[in-house]
Amino acid sequence: MPARDQRTVGELLADSDALSRDTLLDVTPSQGPAMVRAWSPVVQSAAQLWAVLPPVSLAAPSGPDLMVRLRGLGQGIARSTAGHWPGPGPQDQRLLEIASNLLRARDLVERYGRDVQPTGAETRADIAAARARVIHTLYVGAHGTAVALRDYANDLRDCLREDIHRRRPVGLRPEAREIQEAEAMLSRFEVFEQLAAGYVAAHPVTGSVLGAVYPTPPPSRLQSALTAWDIQAHRTLAANPDAPDLVRIGRVQALIASAAAVVTEAAGEKTEIDPDMVERITGTLDASQVAWSRLATRWGELTSQDGRADPALSRAASEVRAAMSATACTATGWATPDQIAGRVDLKRALKSLHLSMVGAVDIAHLAREVAATDPTLTAPARMIAMRAQGEAEMAREQGVTAYDGRTWASPGQIAANQVIPLPEPARRGLVNLTNDVIASCNRAAATAAPLDPSDCAATKAPVDGGRRVRGASGKKIPGADPFTRGPRR
Amino acid sequence: MDAEAVETVAGVVRLLRRAAELAWTQADASGPRSSHQLLALGIDAAADEASCLLPRRARLDGPTPVGDNTAELLASAEQLLRWICVVGAPTRLLGLRVLVAELVWEANTGAGT
Repeated sequence: MPARDQRTVGELLADSDALSRDTLLDVTPSQGPAMVRAWSPVVQSAAQLWAVLPPVSLAAPSGPDLMVRLRGLGQGIARSTAGHWPGPGPQDQRLLEIASNLLRARDLVERYGRDVQPTGAETRADIAAARARVIHTLYVGAHGTAVALRDYANDLRDCLREDIHRRRPVGLRPEAREIQEAEAMLSRFEVFEQLAAGYVAAHPVTGSVLGAVYPTPPPSRLQSALTAWDIQAHRTLAANPDAPDLVRIGRVQALIASAAAVVTEAAGEKTEIDPDMVERITGTLDASQVAWSRLATRWGELTSQDGRADPALSRAASEVRAAMSATACTATGWATPDQIAGRVDLKRALKSLHLSMVGAVDIAHLAREVAATDPTLTAPARMIAMRAQGEAEMAREQGVTAYDGRTWASPGQIAANQVIPLPEPARRGLVNLTNDVIASCNRAAATAAPLDPSDCAATKAPVDGGRRVRGASGKKIPGADPFTRGPRR
Repeated sequence: MDAEAVETVAGVVRLLRRAAELAWTQADASGPRSSHQLLALGIDAAADEASCLLPRRARLDGPTPVGDNTAELLASAEQLLRWICVVGAPTRLLGLRVLVAELVWEANTGAGT
């Protein structure tokens, strides 16, 4: 037995609007006739809902009711659909779902909303939003149908031209009459769309009209998201992580470095920090981003198709992404300095991001330990064979001959691409890349330390237990251990 | 979820992973401050969410989806989800469809273009 539909009127209208947008996202010419057949139920159910919605004001309406006209057009289309073109056949499921949603909304309003009166400003805004949604759904749906019909007619015309050229039998060609019928129907949908467009222009479907207000992010959101991420990354790394977890950690840390650079530049433009410092800091942050991305890519190569990231880590990553979007992004990319300054306190955001970069040093050290020692790490045999061989050759160039003449995966394992434990040379490559990350994070934290009056930047950053830290090239990295010694995990 | 739905969601995971791979390649090629990272991370999150819907024993391996357009792969994933998001489907599945639809929108109109 299907579960009861528990959506509210607002949710039903929002779903209908989203479905109508879907018709534009996914247009195929063959859908045109099916959409025409399903259009009448949509208009009829919209009209029924419109009739039971309370008026926006208690005053008498100043002009004719648009819905009466739209309903008339819809009935005309229904008559043509049944009698002439496209005739009986399948109906578009998305439009039928919209019709069903609108009827369900009508039932709910009839049952529970009869006594609603437009007395308060909030109630009036709510009713106006519902009406705007209904017309907007019809407007977008009519446009989507018109687009599909135009494609359908063009498709038929191309097909007919091709058939004439190839001298196919007349009976197998599309009929010119059908093209004309489709174009006639298209013009009727365009009229419908234009009528609805007038209402949409006068009642734009904006966030405030819909009561969907997107407040500026609370000042603590970014900080909370970054703190939660830091804690979760530590937890995941401490509990036998898999390659997908290391990929996710690398990618999120790279994003944090990018966002830190963007916000630092914004702070520089708004004269919150010294322009010379901006250049130094963003340079080190960019280097850190590149290092984390390289590490994530390498871990990604070692991920098997069946690998899954820790769900808690994924949730924390999603929250970081959402907080970054709300703070420093627009629909088309990074926000401008003015936009970022309008949303958040730049100094506070910068401090949160800087603290996160300091925490990144610690995360990088843990990732290094995992790469070097975790006994449960596995990877697909083909990638291991390739990577381990490459690393063994690099080791030989540096005078290490311990791997000479050894194979890392048997022919059978390679043939089946079996998931096998990570051998020493593959680990060595990961460790070298992580050393690069540690060095770049240390430099970024040290360069940005003057921005942060607390001394947290100086108390973090454990150094590799006294051993020399080497980068992917195997050389000693200057700046890899700028602090003499930190707390060892 | 029945066996058919599990198979479909596994297909969605493969499509999303391929889309994420392409998005990360684009992000890495665009340099250190590429805003493509946000879209790519969003696709990763959706792929994780989809794989969490599957039972642990479900196999995720299979042919790599054909195509080198992130937005088109996302649209295919959304289309697959539409088939199984019927009335009464699990809330998390419905939520995943909304998430993927938003990513389609983002890939077509936003930072992903």
